[in-house]
Amino acid sequence: MDFYYGLAQIIGVHTLLGLSAYIVLLTGQVSLAQAGFQAIGAYTAAMLTVLAGWALVPALAASALLGALVACAVGFPALRVRGLILVVATLAFGEGVRLFFFNFDYQVARGGVRVGPLGGEGFRQIRYFPEHGWTTLEVMLFIWAIVAAVMAALWWFDRSRYGAVLRAVGEDELAAQSVGINLMAIKVSAMTVGGAIAGVAGGLFAHYTTHIEHTNFNILVATFALAYPIVGGLASVFGTLAAVVFVQGFLIEGLRFLGDWRNLLFGALIVLSMNLRPHGLLDAQALARLKRLLGR
Amino acid sequence: MSMLELKNASRHFGGVRAVDALDLAVDEGAIFGLIGPNGSGKSTTVNLVTGLFPLTTGQILFRGADLAGVPVHRRLGLGIARTFQNIRLFGHLTVWQNLWVAQNSPEDHARKGFFRRWLGGSSGVRAEIGELLEFAGLAARQDELAGNLAFGEQRRLELARAVAARPKLLLLDEPAAGMNTEEIGQLRERILELRGRGVTILLVEHVMELVMGVTDRIAVLNFGQKIAEGTPAEIQADPAVRKAYLGGDVK
Amino acid sequence: MLDLVQSILDGVLFGATYALIGIGFTLVFGVMHKLNLAYAAASVGGAYCGLLVAGLAPGVAPAWAVFFGAFLAGGALGYVVYLTCFRFIPLASPLATLMATVGMLLLIDEIIVHVTDGMPRNYPAMFDDVMLRAGEITLRGDLLLVFVVSVVCMVGLLALLFRTRLGLATRAVSQQPVAAELCGIRVTRVNAATFVITGLLGGIAGALIGASVGTLSPLLTTPLTVKGLIVTVIGGLGSIPGAIVAGLLVGGIENLFQMYRGVTERDLYVMLLLFVFLVFRPGGIFAHGAGRD
Repeated sequence: MDFYYGLAQIIGVHTLLGLSAYIVLLTGQVSLAQAGFQAIGAYTAAMLTVLAGWALVPALAASALLGALVACAVGFPALRVRGLILVVATLAFGEGVRLFFFNFDYQVARGGVRVGPLGGEGFRQIRYFPEHGWTTLEVMLFIWAIVAAVMAALWWFDRSRYGAVLRAVGEDELAAQSVGINLMAIKVSAMTVGGAIAGVAGGLFAHYTTHIEHTNFNILVATFALAYPIVGGLASVFGTLAAVVFVQGFLIEGLRFLGDWRNLLFGALIVLSMNLRPHGLLDAQALARLKRLLGR
Repeated sequence: MSMLELKNASRHFGGVRAVDALDLAVDEGAIFGLIGPNGSGKSTTVNLVTGLFPLTTGQILFRGADLAGVPVHRRLGLGIARTFQNIRLFGHLTVWQNLWVAQNSPEDHARKGFFRRWLGGSSGVRAEIGELLEFAGLAARQDELAGNLAFGEQRRLELARAVAARPKLLLLDEPAAGMNTEEIGQLRERILELRGRGVTILLVEHVMELVMGVTDRIAVLNFGQKIAEGTPAEIQADPAVRKAYLGGDVK
Repeated sequence: MLDLVQSILDGVLFGATYALIGIGFTLVFGVMHKLNLAYAAASVGGAYCGLLVAGLAPGVAPAWAVFFGAFLAGGALGYVVYLTCFRFIPLASPLATLMATVGMLLLIDEIIVHVTDGMPRNYPAMFDDVMLRAGEITLRGDLLLVFVVSVVCMVGLLALLFRTRLGLATRAVSQQPVAAELCGIRVTRVNAATFVITGLLGGIAGALIGASVGTLSPLLTTPLTVKGLIVTVIGGLGSIPGAIVAGLLVGGIENLFQMYRGVTERDLYVMLLLFVFLVFRPGGIFAHGAGRD
């Protein structure tokens, strides 16, 4: 049973990662930086609980805040220019963050042992959950409580004017400007919210894996983050969730027997799904059909 | 008072003078027509007023204030709205949402708090948007995706969306293109209704039926320059206008 | 001071490969207004394929045969990327093509890792024992070759674009694809040709990089992708002269950073360079409007 709880934990954190890219995608911008924000959140939360003895929830709040601040700072120069340049800028930023943590040393003695991030070796012994007696089930429920809260918030955005404005910007920037929408403010706000969500995802990730290092936040992860909302479709937050379940649950675990060749399959699968369903698994038409099926 | 003034306004693209030393004054409450052959600079003029292009020379004054340096989205906040020659609706948003996102007037800003305006539900604005839907004749279609509407409905929605921000000056860029006589008549009614509400209108148009029937004053552009200005009757009789549209002497 | 000049010079010579990669990204952008994120990976892949030539005649195959193999393989890989990412996906879904190229990037990377078991492979070099001297400055023979071959490729590309019918068709498509189609230009052919041509350039670039570094490793893909994209953006998306200048610039500055701050921090500074450009000159060195030239 613990195995399935572990899988659910992974799916939960990846959903958050996907959602952080989703909200930026609504404004029509492609961000490959979400793994970078996740890294910042992970190291922040871990350092706060391990080195400074903070409780988990405040540490996660700090991750969200730091993720948001950095995303905002990155957004300002990067969002002033055309969308494809943002792809490059966020890619470069993500790699830059990874390189930064590859070189990052900050160790402190705690109870006779040196703990803290150590460059290429990463950050070991993030033992908040075991030290406080959390079971795997409890960790999973905690993660999913946060996922549910974030999904509810984003779902509420979608029903509010903010959500409509985000999508208007994503659809036609010229028309949006002409009805009085401040493009920069909207795009940066989406980037900031995305950064906060990714920061929380990082904080949760650090604590359930107990050992993080720079390779956990590489281009592959940034791609996953982006792939989920694209493959899942942008019509609704549930598309992203569906994509995560599909990719993680079915593909990676179900095809475990492929061993090393799984990663190969991931790339091939993306190429295939983009050719077959360019608008995502759950695009607007599929969503409409699903709604009719469910009798709404 | 002059609602809109262009003084010696020019817009050059390299060697092309899209708009050349244009002087224009639109009085408050007027319906002012801007006509001319294709390529005469009518749409460019609209784009200059809304701030899409910067001026090469000259000034544009809105209610006496210079618009230089004011970004596009802020001009709406000042009270300038527009429609587009090629309809630019948010196709994947519903009719309701298209109107909702356009509520960016200073009155809207002042009336509700920040959170209510952005994150509040739709109940608070039901009355206002309902009114806009009535104006557009689309009350029954409010949950339809804008991209799925018929062409005439889309034009009505675009007009309503421009009106959603309570503009003082409304720039209409060839709103009658592709319309039949009945639709043009309905458009005429809606334009007059807007004037009745106190909106000043600059109408860029090719369809003479509409222009001659609804405007107070008309300016005629050719190759970016104003070649004539006057009442509809004066313009129809003007030989320079005839020449620009029809070329050479007409017997 | 001398070290400074030497370092910059070596960097600029090497930077010609960055210029080639940058040209590859910028050309596809100019013609199709899309980013091909798999480009650097395909270039490295092409370089690996060049090694297959060496495998056919171990110890005997001359270096230039390997380069030529890389050149051809790069072109072939370019065509494969075109087929899998751009031929069938509706061009109105830019996200889909972007993700597809990312998928190909991961796929090519993984294939390389699997086939080589993740071990770096030695790459043959030419003229690596030649050292020219100009006063106190040394010009490494192999770096000079890299520079010269890159320049030849760039000249060849420009000749192709400005002196041939294919080049004319390419420029037409980059400006007005619909009108070009209506004039009888087969846009799909032009697009495919663009990918093959950039692939050829990429294969050579990959081989040159392998030759000057001495080894080829799958770890090369990511930094090359990022740097290539940075070069493209700094030079201005769609501008070939921009990519050339930016490539040389990044090469020189990168070596400078390496001299002062070491290899690991060097890449961080190159990224900072990108952000500096984004803030002060977002259009790139040769900021331009529509069109690719």
